[in-house]
Amino acid sequence: MIKRILLAVTMPVVLLAVWWFASAGSTDFYFPPLRRILETFPETWFGPRMVDDVLPSLARLAIGYAAALCVGIALGMLIGANRTLRAVVEPLLEFLRAVPPPVLVPILMLMAGIGDLMKVLVIVSGCLWPILLNTVEGVRAVDEVLTDTCRSYRIRGRLRVWHLMVRSASPQIVAGARQALSIGIILMVISEMFAASSGIGFTVIQFKDGFRIPQMWSGVLLLGLLGVLLALLFRLVERRVLGWYHGIRAVQKER
Amino acid sequence: MRRHLAAILLATSLLATACGAGDGADGGSAAPGEPDKVTVGVIPILDVAPIYLGVEKGFFAELDIDLELTQAEGGAAIVPAVVSEQYQFGFSNVVSLLLAQSEGLPVKVVSNGNNSTGVDGEDFAGLMVKADSPIRSAKDLEGRTVAANTLQNIVDTSVRASVREAGGDPSKVKFVALPFPEQPAALANGQVDAVFVVEPFQQAVLAEGGRKIASSYVDAADDLTVAVYFTSRQLQAENPDLVRRFTEAMQESLSYADSHPDEARQIIGTYTEIAPEVIEKLTLPKWPSDINRDSLETMADLAVEDGLLKETPDLNALLP
Repeated sequence: MIKRILLAVTMPVVLLAVWWFASAGSTDFYFPPLRRILETFPETWFGPRMVDDVLPSLARLAIGYAAALCVGIALGMLIGANRTLRAVVEPLLEFLRAVPPPVLVPILMLMAGIGDLMKVLVIVSGCLWPILLNTVEGVRAVDEVLTDTCRSYRIRGRLRVWHLMVRSASPQIVAGARQALSIGIILMVISEMFAASSGIGFTVIQFKDGFRIPQMWSGVLLLGLLGVLLALLFRLVERRVLGWYHGIRAVQKER
Repeated sequence: MRRHLAAILLATSLLATACGAGDGADGGSAAPGEPDKVTVGVIPILDVAPIYLGVEKGFFAELDIDLELTQAEGGAAIVPAVVSEQYQFGFSNVVSLLLAQSEGLPVKVVSNGNNSTGVDGEDFAGLMVKADSPIRSAKDLEGRTVAANTLQNIVDTSVRASVREAGGDPSKVKFVALPFPEQPAALANGQVDAVFVVEPFQQAVLAEGGRKIASSYVDAADDLTVAVYFTSRQLQAENPDLVRRFTEAMQESLSYADSHPDEARQIIGTYTEIAPEVIEKLTLPKWPSDINRDSLETMADLAVEDGLLKETPDLNALLP
């Protein structure tokens, strides 16, 4: 366990050290020494900005991500379980998925204004697709023996959806959700670059326009750290939700 | 057949000479007797019409400057390019340059850019609201949202000046960053309560029945110098002669454009996508050849008052 943690932190530590020493004597205005960036970090983010910018960003991400999960899984179940429906909508889904969400921003702005709703919708518009498409795949690939068993035992309705479909599809759903999380963080930042007045992305742009470059870099670092934290959090949740699946996999490997 | 061959040979040799001539013209920029190759970063807006006109009129060529104009989205992208000497000169609003200087960037102003018309209600930019808006003056903007193309530049500083002049508290105005082209629609949809737009977007808002409640550039300072041309301190130190020639050609271009507004209108059509019938209606900025230093002192004081700058900047170091 300790060895794994050590291995995981080696690379970041090495990279930070390289950055620290390579930039130590930097006089380039746009690439300040890492020391200065780290010095500005606490005063920049651990003040009123935590409440004014970081928390609103995270709240919009949480709402957008949760909405994408609910809609994606629900629609995915429906589409995955119904062969005709799947045949009809699959080309459309592939098309919608291929549209990069940033180009939707001006359209969403016309529809939903420039407030929080627009920013949440931008996040949803990107996070939805990996979850939805993975759910469809997961439901389609439910083990036929299990399906037949359910039928023989006359397991129907909510029980069937929860214990057969959701359970069987959950490894795929989780894979989609993990992909959606990283897309969500990117879109959280992008949505704040348009018509914003708060948020981490907005603040980073403001630092750039105000020529406060160490502060700008500290924002980039903060975004990276948030990404790592959210990924760790995700792994914790995944371990709970998919414990049974990883167990089966481990047993199969041993065999 | 032989005739054909001769024709082909002739064509090839012509091509070769053409290429040869081309090579000669592209030769080293620093060679004696050759013009200096200079790249200037500009924003494709009305304000830079004089430099386009100056190139067309040959004011730069006369002083041995071979000028290439490169368009950038906004001033914030031009400053890094000038400081890293990718561009030799750039165009920026004065507040951004004051900020850049206060953060330690080696920038140096070399020429005036453009000024407000100085006439209240008839400037090339304005603070505007919807036709049926309850907002009557800049004071009513307290607690309201105003769109500005970028924050922390001359736009929000000037709008705050308007609010202050009307007797309001500028710290109660909320700003949202929105590019100029999107502002008319945002105003019409009620997403923002007011916009600060420059031409041609001012015409777009007027066409939808919008009302101008303040000419913020006029409120901020008399005959305000809105933007200037600048270079890096390195270039200023290494090649003062080039900087001097650029300034001279620029001054000639400015006074020519200021006294020939019809030609300025014509050249605007060549580097923007503005429709000819709209160009006729535009209110042009003023293009005096000298920087209005008093107005910049006022701007610096306003930037300090708004908390944009921590201390009064050293204008002597920034201005020529």
